[in-house]
Amino acid sequence: MPPALQNPFVLWFALTAALAAACHFGMRRELRVRAALYGSFLIACIVACWPPYGKDGQPGKIKLGLDLRGGIHLVLQVVTDDALNAVVDDAVQTVREQATRKAIVFTSAQRVDARSFSIEGVEPARVKDVRDLLRDFFRDGWDIREPGEGRFAVQMTENFVRQIKERTVKEVIRTLERRVNQLGVAEPVITEHGNRGDQILVQLPGVTDVEQAKRVIKTTAQLALKLVEDTSPSRESLLQAHNGKVPANMEVVEGAGDTPGQPVYYLVRREAVITGRDLKNARAGVDPQTNGPEVDFNLNAQGAQKFGRETGRNVGRRLAIILDGRVESAPTIQSQITDNGRITGRYTAAEADELAKVLRAGALPATLKYLQELTVGASLGKDSIRSGIMASAAAMAFITIFMLAYYKLSGLNAVVALFANLLILMGAMAYSAATLTLPGIAGIILTVGVGVDTNVLVFERIREELRNGKTVRAAISNGFERVWITILDTHATALIAAAFLFQFGTGAIKGFAVTLVMGLVANVFASYFVSKFLFEWVLGRRQAATLSI
Amino acid sequence: MEILKNPNYDFLGKAKIFVPLSVVLFLASIGYLVLHKIPYGVEFAGGTQLIVKFTSTPQIDRIRDVVEKTSPGSVIQTFDDPAKNQVLIRLPGAQSEEAAADLTGPAERVLAGLARDYAVNTVRESSSEIVGPIVGAELRRKAVQLTLFGLLFQLIYIGFRFGGAVWGAAATIAVFHDVIITLGLLVLCGYEVTLNVIAALLTLVGYSVNDTIVIFDRVRENLRHRRKDSLAKIINDSVNQTLSRTLISNGTTFLAVLGLYLFGGEVLRGFGFAMVVGILIGTYSTVYIASPIVVWWQGLRKDRRPAARAAL
Repeated sequence: MPPALQNPFVLWFALTAALAAACHFGMRRELRVRAALYGSFLIACIVACWPPYGKDGQPGKIKLGLDLRGGIHLVLQVVTDDALNAVVDDAVQTVREQATRKAIVFTSAQRVDARSFSIEGVEPARVKDVRDLLRDFFRDGWDIREPGEGRFAVQMTENFVRQIKERTVKEVIRTLERRVNQLGVAEPVITEHGNRGDQILVQLPGVTDVEQAKRVIKTTAQLALKLVEDTSPSRESLLQAHNGKVPANMEVVEGAGDTPGQPVYYLVRREAVITGRDLKNARAGVDPQTNGPEVDFNLNAQGAQKFGRETGRNVGRRLAIILDGRVESAPTIQSQITDNGRITGRYTAAEADELAKVLRAGALPATLKYLQELTVGASLGKDSIRSGIMASAAAMAFITIFMLAYYKLSGLNAVVALFANLLILMGAMAYSAATLTLPGIAGIILTVGVGVDTNVLVFERIREELRNGKTVRAAISNGFERVWITILDTHATALIAAAFLFQFGTGAIKGFAVTLVMGLVANVFASYFVSKFLFEWVLGRRQAATLSI
Repeated sequence: MEILKNPNYDFLGKAKIFVPLSVVLFLASIGYLVLHKIPYGVEFAGGTQLIVKFTSTPQIDRIRDVVEKTSPGSVIQTFDDPAKNQVLIRLPGAQSEEAAADLTGPAERVLAGLARDYAVNTVRESSSEIVGPIVGAELRRKAVQLTLFGLLFQLIYIGFRFGGAVWGAAATIAVFHDVIITLGLLVLCGYEVTLNVIAALLTLVGYSVNDTIVIFDRVRENLRHRRKDSLAKIINDSVNQTLSRTLISNGTTFLAVLGLYLFGGEVLRGFGFAMVVGILIGTYSTVYIASPIVVWWQGLRKDRRPAARAAL
């Protein structure tokens, strides 16, 4: 094929031009325009969907659904309370810092739930100062109430809550997109799902290592490096020096100890030296001392400045590397470090590689919960394609034989219309990049059945007109004319049913609805207009006395 | 070739037999569906369904022993062609809040168990469908809602197109009758109600109404020409005039979905069955149920004016 014809548009144009010329010389005047138009449309459909089925790793023009090509379909729920908690924690932190700066004293400032915090025991003389402080910092998105006796209750407005939730879900989607890209999945789908506002749909077609994909998606990957105050094998002994209570600016984090099953507890500073946000890059590497796998990271300029300052000040102390709420390791700071570091732990090479990937893609602002998981193995998908093709072929064969036997040559007309119908359906699916699923194949078969109905309606009417003594020409034109309204009504009601199916929104069923809708529309064109044209073309101008019907 | 030449059967006369029969079938279906709990597929009921492909012929008993250890009360059966060495394992859905939080846990434990205790026959590939209780309940509600809304909108459309609510109501009652009886037969024959089955039922709603509309359209046309005849006669004639179309169209569609049922594979079996049965019942109800309702309704109104004006 000449290279210019590789371009589908050029190819279509060339074929259409050839067809138009053929029509001009080979066809009667009143049929020419219709022949060229219908033919050009069908050529466009062939060009659009060829080749329909991919071979040797080349993708076909018809996009196959997960159930046919294998892959993963996940519905996840974003635990948006995580993000709300973080915002309230930040707010409390701000209040504490500002109070310290302005020398305001109160008994406590703490988070009440995911949407509110309270300040208690403000000395009467400073109530006004606290009020001003809150007004300055929490003007937008917060409701400030004063129940009296030096207490303040601060709560997020519904609007602000909704904003945070939306932002969180969007951020989760962006992060997941970055992570999935690193997995190298072609054509992933990551979108909001349902109408509750906190669900995400992830579709990874063709993925074979399900476990790895799930891990990469679900790991929160919240990284924080915090200074260690103390360590101990039990929580109680750790807190003995502090009268059994966790000091205000510190927290207890668990980590794996030297012997498996024996955790070690770390008392660390609440404020992180650096977090995952300060990372510029991360990659898997090898620990030069133990030859074990590790993850190396670089910091961005801001992170490097902070890290340099803190490590320089704290040489000789231990720094806990905390990932998703667990201490991975707690190396001692040997000297000032500025822009790079290493995370060592008990990793396999694959785990280190995965960790590097999720760190590069960034942390999730909230944890995720599985609501639905669907995995389809590649061979099951292939089986489905094979049965789908078998069933379609059987249906086509049944119908072709029946139509030819019952309507003779007119039956051939119906079969041609049927193939035109299928062609248009395929072309439309390829052009609109709609997904073909297994129920979608069922939809195609049903289209074949319904498509024949239009022909049957017309043919039966033509027979009736012939019985009433009409000429062949009049019978055909009356037949088509009289059933037009019926065809409109039947297709409209079928479209209503299909539209509701589409509302299901679930992948495979949506595919079914899509093929059904396209098939119905294609059918009106093929079984009515194309079929009518074929009759007129074959019968010609002569006054045929009989019709093979 | 023609199956019927100028048929002239008394369909409406037979309504005395068939309408009561349909009422009985309809009530029996509803009764059966209520008493015998509807067996929902995993996407509606929630829970886990695994399709596991083994290297050689799987021993169901040994697999059951392994699965029972982590998930008691599981259903295990051969899936599709036995030569494909595939087994379907259905684990019960989570009963408690904590169990629901660990949605994918049971499936992972079963696969780990198989790898450990049934290592002689390794798992080549596994497909899974895991549905949490929230999604299942949401989908069930949606399925019922969408089917009912689909019916309602068709009723409105037909009522509008034929200029009278009775036409819409008659078509809708016939379709509702088809859906309920098909569902009853489906459950009776041991099929699960899956998403695909619901899709089949909704398609049936569209397809079955088609048939009725073809007849109603003919009635509308005849009403215009034959103003003297009674509505009952016109309807009966219209059913006869469209009879060969009804039989042939439904026959070809029946052949198409029969192909689907026979060759469509395990996944589409329920879908194929629902369509095959639904088309048979739909053809019957078009002829014997929808039309008598219109006649009966006009008779109820004791309206002795020529039917043409009453209906249009």
